[in-house]
Amino acid sequence: MLDGIQIEIDAAATVADAALKPAKAFNLVTDPIRPKALPIRLKPLEIKSVGYQFPRAGGGVTVFRNRSGQPATGPATTGTDDGGSGGAGGSGASSAPPAVPPRRPKPEKLTRIRPPADVVKIEDRLFYMLQPPLELLVGSEQLDFPFDPFPYQLDGIAFLFPRYAAVLADEMGLGKTMQAISTIRLLLCSGEVRSVLLICPKPLVSNWLREFSLWAPEIPVAAIGGTAPTRQYQWTSPDIAVKIANYELLMRDRDSVLDPDQHFDLVILDEAQRIKNQRNSTSMIVRQISRTRSWALTGTPVENSPEDLVGIFEFLSPGVLRPEMPMPMIAQATRDHMLRRTKDMVLEDMPPKLYRDAELELTPEQWATYEKAESEGVVQLENLEQQLTIQHVFELVLRLKQICNFDPATGSSAKLERLVADMEEVAASGQKAIIFSQWVDSVDQMRPALERFGTLEYHGRIPHKQREGVIQQFKEDPSKHVIMMSYGAGSVGLNLQFCRYVFLFDRWWNPAIEDQAINRAHRIGAAGSVTVTRMLMTGTIEQRIATVLDQKREMFDELFADSRAPGSVGLSRQEIFGLFNLRGPKGAIAA
Amino acid sequence: MTSGAAAEPAIGFYTVEQSEFTGWTGGLLVLNGGGRPLEFQCTLPIRPSRAHEILYGATLRDYLIGDAIGSLLLSRCRNTPLLVCCDQPEALQLDGHAPCPLALVCEAAETDEGPITADMLPGYDEIEFAGSQIRVAIERADEVRQTIQRLANLPDLTEPFGRIREAIGEAQKQVARARSAA
Repeated sequence: MLDGIQIEIDAAATVADAALKPAKAFNLVTDPIRPKALPIRLKPLEIKSVGYQFPRAGGGVTVFRNRSGQPATGPATTGTDDGGSGGAGGSGASSAPPAVPPRRPKPEKLTRIRPPADVVKIEDRLFYMLQPPLELLVGSEQLDFPFDPFPYQLDGIAFLFPRYAAVLADEMGLGKTMQAISTIRLLLCSGEVRSVLLICPKPLVSNWLREFSLWAPEIPVAAIGGTAPTRQYQWTSPDIAVKIANYELLMRDRDSVLDPDQHFDLVILDEAQRIKNQRNSTSMIVRQISRTRSWALTGTPVENSPEDLVGIFEFLSPGVLRPEMPMPMIAQATRDHMLRRTKDMVLEDMPPKLYRDAELELTPEQWATYEKAESEGVVQLENLEQQLTIQHVFELVLRLKQICNFDPATGSSAKLERLVADMEEVAASGQKAIIFSQWVDSVDQMRPALERFGTLEYHGRIPHKQREGVIQQFKEDPSKHVIMMSYGAGSVGLNLQFCRYVFLFDRWWNPAIEDQAINRAHRIGAAGSVTVTRMLMTGTIEQRIATVLDQKREMFDELFADSRAPGSVGLSRQEIFGLFNLRGPKGAIAA
Repeated sequence: MTSGAAAEPAIGFYTVEQSEFTGWTGGLLVLNGGGRPLEFQCTLPIRPSRAHEILYGATLRDYLIGDAIGSLLLSRCRNTPLLVCCDQPEALQLDGHAPCPLALVCEAAETDEGPITADMLPGYDEIEFAGSQIRVAIERADEVRQTIQRLANLPDLTEPFGRIREAIGEAQKQVARARSAA
């Protein structure tokens, strides 16, 4: 049906059947399709950006001359007549085109500067994060080293660079000096700092000057010294980028160093354990120096107790540590400020340090003298009652330790017998040994038995002007197989890495001092493994002290959990009284 | 932007990070000739809408890297670099809008793109610079060859992209901290 008309279809009709043909035309009417447009408007992407400028990197930078005589970077030039200080300041800009250093192979590891936790502003954090990796600066004008540094040394530089309060507490011999100088150099060249004051013990001033001339020859350096007017000029001279003063000098020149117009961008304390006692005058002066950044260098951040750190941190960042803070809190509070590495941790190629504890029995003569001295000594101490002082106990300890070395009546010594036997082997193999003792008298007593091995001596009775010659002879004379040293004279500042054997004839109170002594031989450049023989008389005061020190090593390990550091703490007052089961007043002593 | 003619030579590094969680974030780092940072520009994370994804389709990446993000960062930059290095071929489209030539650092781009060959970038010339191969538009190749002589101390062309990525991560961490504190 279509439009209401019914059409009948003949099912039998064929295609030709006329009945199938429409009789008329029909109009088919349909509604038009009306497409609807749905506009989709894309909003432009909203992009917000933030920007940070780092003018410090580009402008106002101090220029120093590098090894090739080219200005290191930036527009200004300073130089100084440093009066033979060892610095190599220059002035004037070179007209020659800058020489392009040969391109170095791409380093496998990149050491990046990370912002410390206490830097919170994003632009400050980014400033440090966006600095080039140190490996890419090495060999450039900014960080041209005479020798390739070890990777851990670059880590140390990356640690110091962004920090305003830092302790570099690497074990001795790992190059704290080089790391500090290189960071100073980077900071000066980048314009981050302009004036640096380095304070160190007097005997180390010349060493610092020498190291500056090696690692940063273009930096103007001067050791403060000479007449009062000269020193006054040096303190105020803006041309001396790095001023080096010794601790003793600070007392004399306190008015200059604490002058209200005097400000240092960076103050570094070398051997910073010198200020662990907050009440000493040196400590008080250094804390008053006007400064922006404060660093401490020490191989022994904790000598006696964790409270040593409190004194150092009063200089670095007052209030971070408090006395009697629990050790885990101290470790937590100092973690971001302190970097300590030991040779075992960082020097994979360093030959091993082998400890051999020679636990010996006293000879019968020594034993008789020892027993008598101890029993009588303890009775005397007990009789002193209220008059008993730490000094009395010390005297007894020292007397007993001396007997452990030599019987005063007969000269009998189990240690010497063992030492001679060991030295036979050392000398026969063409090696050299260092023997440390607390007493020069013990050295005197050893001498006759050891003379056949070719002995040299280096202790307080050897005049200073002869000491350099002694070391030189020990190094060069193949007939000299042994040098006898006192801990006091021989434990710092000597490089004896050609020695393969170290004997501790008696033990020092503080393992840190022993470590310093051992590190004369076990340091960068060591010829091979270093065997350390620690002599200890069983059943004596020496063994009791060693036991207490072992316990304290565990404490140290807890404090510097990451460093696997050797014990570096001495005996407290209570512990010294405890050696004889005596009671004493509370308080710590300096070992 | 300040004129780069009188100022110390500067070089830019541009990359865009894409993350499923945060979106697209662009960073432009301007270094001096010694590789030290002068300026850092970055975007906040951008999240294209579903409509953008559908309508831009496969060209969305080109648009974001080679137009929207790059143009904005370059326009905000106050130091005019002599050259902008990128590690994404899409960024080369910025060459027309940028105040300086664009260069693709092949070694940096190969991490995602695989080997960069001549037939991948017709019309681009290969130049050696700071120990890396870079590709620049043929018509700007001579200009770039002269420019890079002023940047001869630049130690490396690939690692600055790592710095940008770390800086972007740091900026995003700070934003997240600020939000959680608010």
